[in-house]
Amino acid sequence: MPGTHVVDDIELIIEDIGGGGGNKPPTGDDHGGGDGDPHKRRKPAPTSPRRYQTAIVLAMLSIVMFFMALAVTFLVRKMGSDWVPVHLPFMVWVNTIVLLASSGTLELARRKQATGDLKGFRRLWEVTTALGVVFLIGQVVAWRELVAKGFYVSTNPASSFFYIFTAAHGVHLLGGVGALLYVLFRNFANKPLTQPVAAEVTSHYWHFMDGLWLFLLALLYLGK
Amino acid sequence: MIAALGGKVTSSVSNDPQKASMPDYDNGGNTTEAPDSWLRVLTFRTDHKAIGLRYLWLALFSVFLGMIMSLVMRIHLVWPGAHLPLLSGLDNSPQRYAALTLLHGSLMVLMVLTAAPQAGFGNYLLPIQIGARDMAFPTLNLLAFWGTALSLVGVAAAFFLSPETGLNLWICSVALFCAAALANALNFSVTTIDLRAKGMTLPRLPITVWAWFINAILSLLIFSILLAACVYLLADRILGTHFFSTTPFLYGPPHSVPAVVLPALWQRLFWFFAQAQVYVAILPCFGIVTHLISTFSRKPVWVHRAVVLALCAAGLFGFCIWGQHTFASGLNPYSPLVFSLLASSLGLPASILLMSWFGTLWNAKAQLTTAMLFALGFVSLFLAGGLSGLFLARNDLAATAGAGNDDFITGHFHLVMGIAATFAMLGALFFWFPKMFGRSLDERLGKIHFWITFAGVYFIFMPMHWLGLISHLHLSPGASLSAAIAAGSAIRSFVTAATLITIAAQGIFLVNFVASLLRRGEAVAKNPWRATTLEWSLPSPPPIGNFVGAAPVVYRSAYEFGAIANCTEDFASQSLAADSTPPAMPGGADKGLQSLPPYAAGTT
Repeated sequence: MPGTHVVDDIELIIEDIGGGGGNKPPTGDDHGGGDGDPHKRRKPAPTSPRRYQTAIVLAMLSIVMFFMALAVTFLVRKMGSDWVPVHLPFMVWVNTIVLLASSGTLELARRKQATGDLKGFRRLWEVTTALGVVFLIGQVVAWRELVAKGFYVSTNPASSFFYIFTAAHGVHLLGGVGALLYVLFRNFANKPLTQPVAAEVTSHYWHFMDGLWLFLLALLYLGK
Repeated sequence: MIAALGGKVTSSVSNDPQKASMPDYDNGGNTTEAPDSWLRVLTFRTDHKAIGLRYLWLALFSVFLGMIMSLVMRIHLVWPGAHLPLLSGLDNSPQRYAALTLLHGSLMVLMVLTAAPQAGFGNYLLPIQIGARDMAFPTLNLLAFWGTALSLVGVAAAFFLSPETGLNLWICSVALFCAAALANALNFSVTTIDLRAKGMTLPRLPITVWAWFINAILSLLIFSILLAACVYLLADRILGTHFFSTTPFLYGPPHSVPAVVLPALWQRLFWFFAQAQVYVAILPCFGIVTHLISTFSRKPVWVHRAVVLALCAAGLFGFCIWGQHTFASGLNPYSPLVFSLLASSLGLPASILLMSWFGTLWNAKAQLTTAMLFALGFVSLFLAGGLSGLFLARNDLAATAGAGNDDFITGHFHLVMGIAATFAMLGALFFWFPKMFGRSLDERLGKIHFWITFAGVYFIFMPMHWLGLISHLHLSPGASLSAAIAAGSAIRSFVTAATLITIAAQGIFLVNFVASLLRRGEAVAKNPWRATTLEWSLPSPPPIGNFVGAAPVVYRSAYEFGAIANCTEDFASQSLAADSTPPAMPGGADKGLQSLPPYAAGTT
């Protein structure tokens, strides 16, 4: 009877790697107090939070590909002889500091959450959201600074890239701000998604946006 | 590391199976949905089966629309003077013909080849086959569907607008389609990774699920690239930027970058997507065909693991092969060699798949149902198309062929991508129709439909390859050109006649489909094909939430056919408990798992 028991030993290993389906209990060490004792799984546990964590990792992968395509075009297009370097507006440096600071406050907020200080968590989370909004406004100010110097979207390729990069990043960051607000205002009672998990997933995305901005800035600054 | 993982596994199995009988993953929030008006159900129901069916209806609509267009084009090629609805109704110009080609292509590639095997069948079957109650994110799933539907409207509307606005609308629609495809891909991959039922380990996944999963990962990577390209293109067209063209007024003609480089930039971005897109269309078909061949041969998939690896490799190569299409657009002279090798190396996963299909069929008492016939038709077409693809992997021929509207290329990609994929989809439809609608399609009509279509597509696309070769005759001196041209026009008429007959034969399918849907009477049995995967353990059609009551537990691999211990049938459903299995044959999950910790500790 060939094929009836082709899967035995190796399966056991892959079973392990594959996680044996969505039913693996949460590891419990990375998000404090997610859903109780991880080693004694009982009746109808809430949604495994893993799906949100998996989703954010895959979404980031996809976003990386998107920005890679943008960046590769930048590098190739830069070799054109119609390339006129554009000096970055001063405002972007201020914005960068604001965004880095927001990542810091986000981490502080999650630490408060882990220790159970929900009030402190909310306050720091609000500060993070505010910093995110300030960054977005700052990007618009940076655009106006460029416009004042006479660099519009279609003025030359370099300025086009500046506007497209900042706009694409801004749109993605706007999603991040939405997620921050969601964590703040959503009523998590009796929902499959708990606040710590939502906060964790949001923080992954936010730090990712932070890193992405540094990458784009470096590209625009070094590649001009 | 393994010890740590082993520890986790112990904890996941050590609890009593009885305790796990309650659903311990959420149901997507729609199992308690009260009965609603049909309009609400049609618009807002987030059940994965409802969404999958909607995709299939969308594809069915598009495929017939697209087929009518190809008919119009074929007739126009033979009788250019004829008054045809879509061409002469507007104005009978070359632009209209080009627009018609574009519309035909975008409908077929996006709405049929991309949407139907992946989003349609995948949405319907993937959650059931892995034992989940719904997709991981049902609302996202619904949004993705409506995004796709909206982009279909946009693509079709673009045809009737002026060329400038039409193209802008078309690009916007394609961008929307990309976003929807990304959402879909995310949903598919997360569902497969995290929502598998207890005991549904990776080796036990049906090949179909593997194919959908690999395809989802591939889509996740390439659709974002097309989205980026669309953003640049739209900026160029609407905001007046110059990403894909040089700024003309600043410095005069550029010297350091030849003019061809900039369109080439677009071409590379586009083909990066487009070549992988071929695999996006064909990968789920591989899965479906493997599944059908195994089920109807009543044998397990031969070299199961090699097939999974071949699917992974096909996804990976598909991702790396983009340079193939830029032979004609002047890359670095060495890179054609590299890409040519890559293109040829695709033959490796393809031959593994072919080998497995023939190996499964070897000595099998195959049941030639319509579904099986279509699966075998797929194998035949894939083989024929693949052989003509070998010629195109030679970069010199590809370069000459790339210059212009070439029948060889047209023949090649229609045969491999379009027709073969359609065969797989038809096979899937005949196979899963009883599950989806509780009625069977008529087998006799199905077989007539199959044989006419099968002969028809060969009569269409083989002569089309010859036409392509004839048009290259001028490359070889001394050939009598006029004779070749005369032969060409006769062949062209033959192709058009064959197209007419083949398309007419689809009427048989339509009649069969509609009549089966409307047929009253007994619903078919749960498992008419005596198949093993989880969807066949459910009533047809499965209820909302799929597994009412207990969550399924999987004990067996996906293709247990043949003589099975303690089993009167020649197959064993995946959810058939293996408790009675003798200890000599460790098929049971729980037994195997409990022996894991010492085993795992031994390897550390």
